[in-house]
Amino acid sequence: MPNHDPPMRYTGVAQLFHWLIAGLIVTQFILGWTAVDLPLGMHKLALFARHKSFGMTVLVLAILRLLWRFKHPPPDLPPAMSPVERVLARATHIAFYVLLFAMPITGWMMSSAKNYSVSWFGLFTWPDLIGQNETAFNILKTTHDTLSFILFGIAVLHILAALKHHFWNKDDVFLRMLPFTKSEKRS
Amino acid sequence: MMRRAALSIAFFAAAAARAASPASYTADPSASRLEFIGVQAGAEFKGSFRKFTAAVDFAPDSLASARFDVQIDLNSLDTMDKDRDKTMRGPDIFDIAHYPTAHYVTRSFTKTAAGYSAVGALTLHGVTKDVPIDFQFVSTAGQSKIEGTAKLKRLEFGVGQGDWKSTEWVKDEVKVAFSLVLKPAP
Repeated sequence: MPNHDPPMRYTGVAQLFHWLIAGLIVTQFILGWTAVDLPLGMHKLALFARHKSFGMTVLVLAILRLLWRFKHPPPDLPPAMSPVERVLARATHIAFYVLLFAMPITGWMMSSAKNYSVSWFGLFTWPDLIGQNETAFNILKTTHDTLSFILFGIAVLHILAALKHHFWNKDDVFLRMLPFTKSEKRS
Repeated sequence: MMRRAALSIAFFAAAAARAASPASYTADPSASRLEFIGVQAGAEFKGSFRKFTAAVDFAPDSLASARFDVQIDLNSLDTMDKDRDKTMRGPDIFDIAHYPTAHYVTRSFTKTAAGYSAVGALTLHGVTKDVPIDFQFVSTAGQSKIEGTAKLKRLEFGVGQGDWKSTEWVKDEVKVAFSLVLKPAP
């Protein structure tokens, strides 16, 4: 009988949060980086409207995901991992959580500062976080852009690490976040 | 004797005329506001016209001769975003190179439960159409004020050409809100 405590795999809900948010973030990069260079027009408005709706969705999912995580701790890292790897893994995951909040909140503040309030798919409008302020907008935009590059960087690191665990270390770190698979204790 | 009688008749006639005609005001530019509220991508945004003049003839007891005449400098629009302001001044929206001003003149007034309403002709972007307004007239110690709202459809005035004809991301309906602080006309 396998020992269920501590867990070997992420819960189905945690997996759902992970892949849903991952998919939304990829979408966000495509929308954001496409829209930012367009001249102000209908196309730009449409792309940013979706970018904002998806961004607010990420924020809500991030809150729910964090709450879920407090109740359902993730599985331990494999014992074979070195202390350096553990620190790196932990730091990356903390950075992800910080960015899951920082990206939408800076984006939301940007919208408020520029007097383009955030609607959620046209269903309701989120309140403005700050008043209209051009200086604040410029600072927030730089922050949002910079954070997006950091997010891109750690996402690349995260994906490479997952692949390394799977193909190089041959442990179950990748599989335990992958739905419809089974984790075998290989270590 | 005859002369005195004629004078007093003239005097009473003038007084009667004054009672029947409304007071004339202009809007104090520093204290008055003219705002519009549009909807972009499902969210309202507010803009205002910083420069406009309003000549107001109004008295609650003489609606028949009341009249508002408002001239709006469209170039003075301000939506708190320079990019949007520039786009709105441009050829596809207000096209201020050809239509620098908008003009609103009332035609008739009625008393309503909440205050007053008026119908007037708005000339905007080369198109003249009737736009009703609802307002309240507040007169307190030495200070008269008119506060009101209106609704219009931007596309009826051709405000929105090309891509901007679409109402998918920018609604057709635009709300207008105004607050005119009145001072006696010079």
